[in-house]
Amino acid sequence: MSRRALAIAPLVVVAAVQALVVACGPPRVAPVEAASAPVPVHAMPLDDAPKEEPRLVPAEVYLRTYLQLFGGLAPLDVQRRARAADGAQLFDTWDDYFASLGFPDHRLDLPRGQQTNALMVATFERVGVALCDRAVEHDLKGIAFADAPKDPKAPKPPPTKTPIAERVVFAFEAGDPQTVADFAPGFDVLHRTFLGYPARLAETDRTARFFALYGEVKKLHAGKKSRFSPSEAGWASVCHGLVRHPELHLY
Amino acid sequence: MESTGARCHNRDMRARAVACALFGAVLAMAPPARARGPLTLDDYRHFRALTIDLLGRMPTRDEIARFESPSFDLEAWIDEHARGPAYAERLTRIYMDVLRLEPGPAVQFAPDATTLYRVQLQGPDGKPVLVFHRPRQRRARDATDGEFCLTTEETGLEIDPRQQPRGAPKPVAKAVLDEHTVLVKPWWLYRDYLSLDPKKRYKAGWEPDPEYRLVESLLAEPDGSPTIEVRVCKEEAQTRETGKVYVTDRKPLAKGEAPPHGRRRPLPVDSAYAKQNKGATVSCRTRFAAEASLECGCGVGLEHCLPSDSFNLGSTFYFPNHAPLGEREPLDAARQNTGRTYPLWWAEEARRFFERLWLDDRDFREVLTGRWTVVNGPLAQFYRAIQPGNCCGPEASFGMLEETAPLFAPKAVPAELFPHDARTWTLVPDRGPGAAGVLTMPIYLEKYASDRARGAAVYQALLCKSFVAEAAQLMPSSENDLTKRPGCSTCHATLEPLAAYFARIEQGNLVYLPPDKFPVKNPTCKKNDRGQIPGQCGTFYDPAFATASEGVLRGAYASPAHADGGAAMAARDVVAMPEFAACAVQRITASFLGRPPGPDDQALLRELGDAFVKSGYRMRALVRALVRADVYRRANNLRSDEWRKAAAAIGKEGAR
Repeated sequence: MSRRALAIAPLVVVAAVQALVVACGPPRVAPVEAASAPVPVHAMPLDDAPKEEPRLVPAEVYLRTYLQLFGGLAPLDVQRRARAADGAQLFDTWDDYFASLGFPDHRLDLPRGQQTNALMVATFERVGVALCDRAVEHDLKGIAFADAPKDPKAPKPPPTKTPIAERVVFAFEAGDPQTVADFAPGFDVLHRTFLGYPARLAETDRTARFFALYGEVKKLHAGKKSRFSPSEAGWASVCHGLVRHPELHLY
Repeated sequence: MESTGARCHNRDMRARAVACALFGAVLAMAPPARARGPLTLDDYRHFRALTIDLLGRMPTRDEIARFESPSFDLEAWIDEHARGPAYAERLTRIYMDVLRLEPGPAVQFAPDATTLYRVQLQGPDGKPVLVFHRPRQRRARDATDGEFCLTTEETGLEIDPRQQPRGAPKPVAKAVLDEHTVLVKPWWLYRDYLSLDPKKRYKAGWEPDPEYRLVESLLAEPDGSPTIEVRVCKEEAQTRETGKVYVTDRKPLAKGEAPPHGRRRPLPVDSAYAKQNKGATVSCRTRFAAEASLECGCGVGLEHCLPSDSFNLGSTFYFPNHAPLGEREPLDAARQNTGRTYPLWWAEEARRFFERLWLDDRDFREVLTGRWTVVNGPLAQFYRAIQPGNCCGPEASFGMLEETAPLFAPKAVPAELFPHDARTWTLVPDRGPGAAGVLTMPIYLEKYASDRARGAAVYQALLCKSFVAEAAQLMPSSENDLTKRPGCSTCHATLEPLAAYFARIEQGNLVYLPPDKFPVKNPTCKKNDRGQIPGQCGTFYDPAFATASEGVLRGAYASPAHADGGAAMAARDVVAMPEFAACAVQRITASFLGRPPGPDDQALLRELGDAFVKSGYRMRALVRALVRADVYRRANNLRSDEWRKAAAAIGKEGAR
């Protein structure tokens, strides 16, 4: 799954390999009988690579979407939420991500990043994981977002169940689904949230694959000390898979 | 489905009606509307793409749910959202990416005449005292004329605005301090600085716009107490609008002669112009007045000067380093160098100009021809007082003491804007006859500091053309005319006439050189017997093209007509070229398709281009037609199985 989740990188690799094959490999021409060549054949290699490159979501759109998913806040407020009390463990600062997200820097005449690269993919992952983990804390564990500096000595308020309407990502009763059928409604909410369409329309058996992921991660967490319960970790991993899905970053 | 023609809103004009019909024809290239059946993956992807391009973000769950409703009207949705702020931001991004209108890290703007530096002295009681002053300020006292208002003997310090004070500070006598400095409630601390007794202090009775954020060092005294008033040299605190030309009849120092009064630098001597115009009235808003009059200061509440918190250019405000979503949603906040204050607002002016262009669905040609702009408080202060203080120094030798034909007439600045109004953006309908869209905005002129860079940027950004040298050999040549020099002429035959449009705007500056003071061919700047032109001419006239009878204005040699026509003429000429509309259509189409248009798109580009021109160069109609076109709907919408097939063909595992 981790390879699939990082599928945007293979896209680039595939395209690059294709380009190399086309450019450097032997010309892809139909075999021709030397003795009789009634049909003239072009010496140029046949280029059957896709002509339309994937269109990368502009960095501004990615950022706005991220802000909206985090509750429609300003960037610095989201940064505060994402960092919470963990400092830079989950999230550094927007400044750190500015260039790797593909923003142009017109002051330095650096152009917009219009293709993915390893650093960009890694940034999508880090930023996405921060969103998912904070969302699990807020939506599933009922821990309030860290929106203002707090007195470290002040007693922590007890977690309270977050109403579905106030949830930012997991806007459904997550529970601990045991079957694909139980898993599908919640997954569909996440799928719509991140990829913009119902999971049933996905070209692969995506729901089943993600349910398998959910089960595997849950199993790995069973009996281990973690800030997430096994089912919470499972849902977090599903979220992680979607926030770094190529379809999220392309359009 | 309602017809496309009926959806065009500009029914009142016949030309627009024709355009509507043409856009309708373009839409005919889209797949025919069908009864809304079960939504397909392509339908969802199209809606997601529309949301990304017109709302500036991916769709929410609620928006997807509305999209799925049988009553959802996609056509109406497109029309509704192809007019909002996200739509404007989307289009602005295209042109900001092309023009890159943000100041480079080296760009600073802090004219001496409008900048107050701050120095720390030892007060009468031995405690630190901060005093503001501006460089080259004329003073009646010989010991301090053109320098800091207190002498080294009085302070124990050698004070230069751009260097760390040197020496051992000693307490300044109270009488001396009181005689040469005053306390002022300055504009940067008081919203009501124009009143006789200002009371609305920064965050103490006045809550400023969040974008107006002073650095802490301007808010507190050395002992930590809040700054209520600032101490400033007496001359700088003067409030007159005009002064008299001050003439001292001093002689320059003889070689080896030490400056008098223990000064580090010689006393200022009279300029040739000052000698000829002793006692003449000059505007205090000019650089010339700051250097040639005793009566000119920074105005009421020091409103015509920008403070720095240091002996050198320190800081004044916090500004974001990165604000890709606009200055209201910054990604950070950083102390900026005082000299960056206005350049950062210049960039925002360009961004706001573009947004207004799209939001009002103005004629796109106004990007070059528009005499209007939008300004906020800091920019109003800049155009009203700071830019005038940027002139005139060397220009005074040509009889220009203040800008007579500024690119932005100070009188056009909205009077109601205060320097603190960072969030209030106001339309300025007419900057003046020399204004030409983005071409005469400070950010354009500073980003592209030379005539050639300014010409080349228009050529590239708005005509989609580049300068590509052919396989020409560069041979040694004494030909000064680059339109003729072998190896150079390939590009410069085009570039030099383009550059000539900007010959009257000083390079690396914003000052306009009017023809009456700076004729293209100027006998005053002719070559002498030794083949040299007069010293004062070198800044503005090019020795390479001077003859024994006249000098030639720098950058004008390839087209004196273009030089005299200026940026406004460049704007008229460029928008009249067929490449202008074609380039606009190509840029918008390429951006929305996410790829450069290819041979298969030529028919679409032609259709869009014709319709764009006939619509009066309105971008909204173009975008509406584009996002409905089948090519947009299909753009880059490769199914993953195609990728898998391609990958399998080269023996790799599928991408997903």
